Amino acid sequence: MFWNIYSKRVLCGLREKESMFWTWIFPLLLSTMFFFTFTSLDTVGQLRAFPLGVVDDAAYHRDAAFRSALESVSGEDGLFELTAFGDAADADAALVKGEIEGYILAGEPPALIVTGDDINQTIAKGFLDRYLQTRNSVALILASNPGAVNDLPALLQWADYTKEISLAQNPPSNRISYFYALLAMVCLYGGFQGLITVVYLQANLSPLGARRTVAPLGNWGAAVCDLLGGLTVHLTGVIVVVAYIVFVLGTDFGSKLWLVLLTCLAGSLLGVAFGAMIAAMSKFKEQVKIAILITFCMVCSFLSGLMVQGVNYIVAEHAAMISWLNPAARIADSFYCLYYYDTYDRYLLNLGIILAMTVVFFTAASLFLRRQRYESI
Amino acid sequence: MIQVSNLVKRYGDLIALDHFNLEVKKGEIFGLLGPNGSGKTTAINCMLSLLKYSKGSVSLFGEPMTPEHYRNKRRIGVVMQNVAVFNELTVVENIDYFCGLYVPDKKRRRALLDEAIEFTGLGEFRKFLPKKLSGGLLRRLNIACGIAHKPELIFLDEPTVAVDPQSRNHILEGIRELNRGGATIVYTSHYMEEVEQLCSRIMIMDKGKSVAIGTKEDLKAMIRAGEKLTVEVYGLSGAALDEIKAIDGLVQTEYDGHTLTARCASEIHRLGAVLDVLTRRQIAFGSVFSEPPTLNDVFLEITGKDLKD
Repeated sequence: MFWNIYSKRVLCGLREKESMFWTWIFPLLLSTMFFFTFTSLDTVGQLRAFPLGVVDDAAYHRDAAFRSALESVSGEDGLFELTAFGDAADADAALVKGEIEGYILAGEPPALIVTGDDINQTIAKGFLDRYLQTRNSVALILASNPGAVNDLPALLQWADYTKEISLAQNPPSNRISYFYALLAMVCLYGGFQGLITVVYLQANLSPLGARRTVAPLGNWGAAVCDLLGGLTVHLTGVIVVVAYIVFVLGTDFGSKLWLVLLTCLAGSLLGVAFGAMIAAMSKFKEQVKIAILITFCMVCSFLSGLMVQGVNYIVAEHAAMISWLNPAARIADSFYCLYYYDTYDRYLLNLGIILAMTVVFFTAASLFLRRQRYESI
Repeated sequence: MIQVSNLVKRYGDLIALDHFNLEVKKGEIFGLLGPNGSGKTTAINCMLSLLKYSKGSVSLFGEPMTPEHYRNKRRIGVVMQNVAVFNELTVVENIDYFCGLYVPDKKRRRALLDEAIEFTGLGEFRKFLPKKLSGGLLRRLNIACGIAHKPELIFLDEPTVAVDPQSRNHILEGIRELNRGGATIVYTSHYMEEVEQLCSRIMIMDKGKSVAIGTKEDLKAMIRAGEKLTVEVYGLSGAALDEIKAIDGLVQTEYDGHTLTARCASEIHRLGAVLDVLTRRQIAFGSVFSEPPTLNDVFLEITGKDLKD
């Protein structure tokens, strides 16, 4: 009996076009769109080497110390992509064409020629100022105490009074929060499976429900088999979406992928329970119920930051209760905790809330599912 | 097999079943005939314990019927008025699913499934999804899903609505075959011809009440009207019409300028007498029809309205 109902429910779920679109196709399209739209978010603010010219004349050749200092900060991982020019005219021409951000003319002192004043020009000027300051310091020390030549490295040590530490186990990522909100939405779309299960189970909601109610099986048995079938279909879809985001789009979800999947399971259960409750509580037509479900999912997802980054923080700050009761926010926050936090306290709290909501929704649905005899059909 | 006593079912102020009584014996094809809204489907749903009712009792197979009476439910097959199949499952998968709710054993189910497919003539369409089937084939699938487990008692609620004549004949013949195989059948319809052809006993329902019950002969004998005569005739004079009206045994005679319609009293035949008047008066006439009374006539006389209304 179990296998008969379960296997057919899985078949139905895989062939049901509407729910397949919302739980499989739509998230895949959306995650692809996120990938192309938000990839640059994580690289915003990072320093990259920029093109800088140097006039390779006799003065440059004479100043071996300056040449060495400039070449040491150039290259792929350095500050500059250094290009040598035969004379100042060539360098000027390249500067005008925008091929370089500026150029250095060796001499006493070396000069920086730029046309703008953005961050790259500031970096070049900073390098040159620091070089000159160091060179002058060395000259001053050696002039006053020639014996201190061996102590120069220690004397020239620049002290750093700030230290960079990471509060999280993984590097910060702006775009990942979009993927988390997307996954939370996909989990809530499990509501389709819960909704369809209940509609096809209740005699007052569909002819199929009537036919099944006259069969010799209790509502509970049928509901459990059906919901498991629906959950299987839905969870498969969620796993496909996670695999696509992680392995195809190359988004790093951290090292706790199994816990991510566990969260997906809990979130999907919550979605299924919510759909079951929506279906069981009202006598609207199936399409109206689906519209209610989609609207609910979209509102929750919006408040969890799916459409606009930071909305979740604003809601958490100004309407904390809504944030705590928003299923999408709890699911997304669980993923967030797994990615950033070393401890599991907040993750477990989220998971507890998700499971509590699931129990509440299933209990509400079951109060209506108990009926086997109806006032009207 | 079925015993319903004093069943009362209300929808708010509307009384859908008004002290409804029914007894169906084993091996019968019992017809519930009535216009839409007369309470046929409500009666069936109450018998199946799908609907709550305010008063009365229902017992099936000699035991009170309840929603949890799974032993009884296993012996019942239901073909709903609305097609109730999964649109995402093929013909075979649908029948297997519903049969599986009654028959857990897979081997036995496979045999029953093949029988049901052969019985409903769906062999060519085994792998078809319901949306690819015509209305008639869809109805046959609906029936196959309801009877595949070989129930002893089958409720068929308007199974031929919106079905083409070929599928209708196939369905009706199938129902006779099920009955010959030992199944007791409760059949509802508002098509009087079907009920008349198929059912061994008939109940005529109106406004949630049984207005008449018996064999078709019993029912026709209950009414005053008998044979209906229709004669195509032009230029019928007032005197000739008066003479026809005066024929003993004619209870109702009308003429509209081209068709003469006369209704005989029950079990009286007066076609010869009518034609005799026309011949004697040298009035030419065209086509002549003589129809025995129908269940519609029975319904009309008892309720004062047409069954088709």
